[in-house]
Amino acid sequence: MNGSPISAWDGVEAYFTFADSPLLIGLFLLFVALVVVGVITHSAKHESKAFKRFP
Amino acid sequence: MDNDTLASIEELRRLVAMSGTINMEIFYWWCTALMVIIHAGFLAYEMGASRVKNALASGVKNILAFAFIIPTFFLFGWWIYVAFPSGLVPSATGNAALPWSDTMGPNLADNATGIFWAAFALFAATTASILSGAVIERIRLSAFCILAILLGSVLWILAASWGWHPEGWLHTALGYHDVGAAGVVHMIAGFFALGVLINLGPRIGRFAVDGTPQELFGHSMPMTIIGLMMIIVGFFGFLGGCIIYMTGEQWVNIYGQPATLSAFAFNTLMGFAGGIIGCFLMTRDPFWMMSGALAGIISAAAGLDVYHPALAFLIGFVGGCLIPKVQEVLLKLQIDDAVGAFSVHGAAGLWSLVACGIFASGYPSPNGPDSSLYGQVVGGAVMALLGFVPGYLGSLVLKSFGLLRITAGAEKAGLDIVELPVRPYPEGHTPSTHPVAAE
Repeated sequence: MNGSPISAWDGVEAYFTFADSPLLIGLFLLFVALVVVGVITHSAKHESKAFKRFP
Repeated sequence: MDNDTLASIEELRRLVAMSGTINMEIFYWWCTALMVIIHAGFLAYEMGASRVKNALASGVKNILAFAFIIPTFFLFGWWIYVAFPSGLVPSATGNAALPWSDTMGPNLADNATGIFWAAFALFAATTASILSGAVIERIRLSAFCILAILLGSVLWILAASWGWHPEGWLHTALGYHDVGAAGVVHMIAGFFALGVLINLGPRIGRFAVDGTPQELFGHSMPMTIIGLMMIIVGFFGFLGGCIIYMTGEQWVNIYGQPATLSAFAFNTLMGFAGGIIGCFLMTRDPFWMMSGALAGIISAAAGLDVYHPALAFLIGFVGGCLIPKVQEVLLKLQIDDAVGAFSVHGAAGLWSLVACGIFASGYPSPNGPDSSLYGQVVGGAVMALLGFVPGYLGSLVLKSFGLLRITAGAEKAGLDIVELPVRPYPEGHTPSTHPVAAE
């Protein structure tokens, strides 16, 4: 996968992967948010399940 | 001068500027690295302060606070700092700090954003860790993570935008002076923790039926004390991150007032020593002595750039004498702050702001009125409310859904055995040979 937004270093500013693709950057950010929310939600469910053994 | 000479001078200027830029990056890189030691310290501190049945669960909680703060601070924390200095309405200048901005990633035209974002993210994680110790042994991990994100990636950074920013309204309107983040980090975290503790309630057995406090000794006081000393080491990174490196010019503080790292060195150490001695006088307890070291630095933090070192020592000493008394008041109210987070951070932070108003009024600022007791007291009230109210309401909402506190059965069994697949000391644990503490 070619993630480079540049083909030479002259005059380059932002050069992070997919800097030329706002849609992909938006998707990456969305996935970060989903991981944060999803893992905390999963943790809450795991706790509730574990606590049933210790009411 | 001929063209060759002019070209050489221009080249020299370019080299000096680039060298300065890279030195700036290096300075904040190592400040950030030192701040990671704060987390190593909090980790040891909290695990040691927990009973052995909760030792690892307390560590997991602390590690996750750090882990969840970093992405959330990237998603919205940095934007809050840049966008909200005038209050609650975001400004367009915040657009450059949105996570999809060109400056929020590798960029050869911007050496500053990433390194400042990192330093601020570590401040955020430190703020969340302050809450972590107060609520050990009975808060649900998921609830803690939500509250830590609210505290570290929203509230402290909003407070910083208002009071720890050259254009923050508390500074531009009132001359609020809080160089070492006594209000924006420590008060916010301490008062937030107090709000959570009221809803969370004390650990089972912390108070007798008649309300008398019962000691619940942590399983490793040496681990706790060493952890506290590690936090002190990390504080030098924290406080180094509170001063602005200016290529070719004198340092300035966060408000743009001239400052020196030497001033920070004098007063950090003098406050540190005063805090230890104050707590030694009041308690003779090594836990409180090292907590006093933190409280001494925090007490001197607001005016760290301007105090005479002897004054910083005395302010730290008063802070060290103050915090065990504040903890006694909480215990009388049957509020179980397991590590004294409110007294060390909230109360010492407030004392720091007030002391700065009493002793360091009248300093001019390029961005606001002179520092004053009035500005400090109003700033302190804002910090107390901005910490306490969301902490109280956020934990109240979680409590109303049954998501704040673990079950009584899990609390009695211990969180390690309930939630985790590993044990802290699988080959045995040496019980204390001194079950009764000295008077």
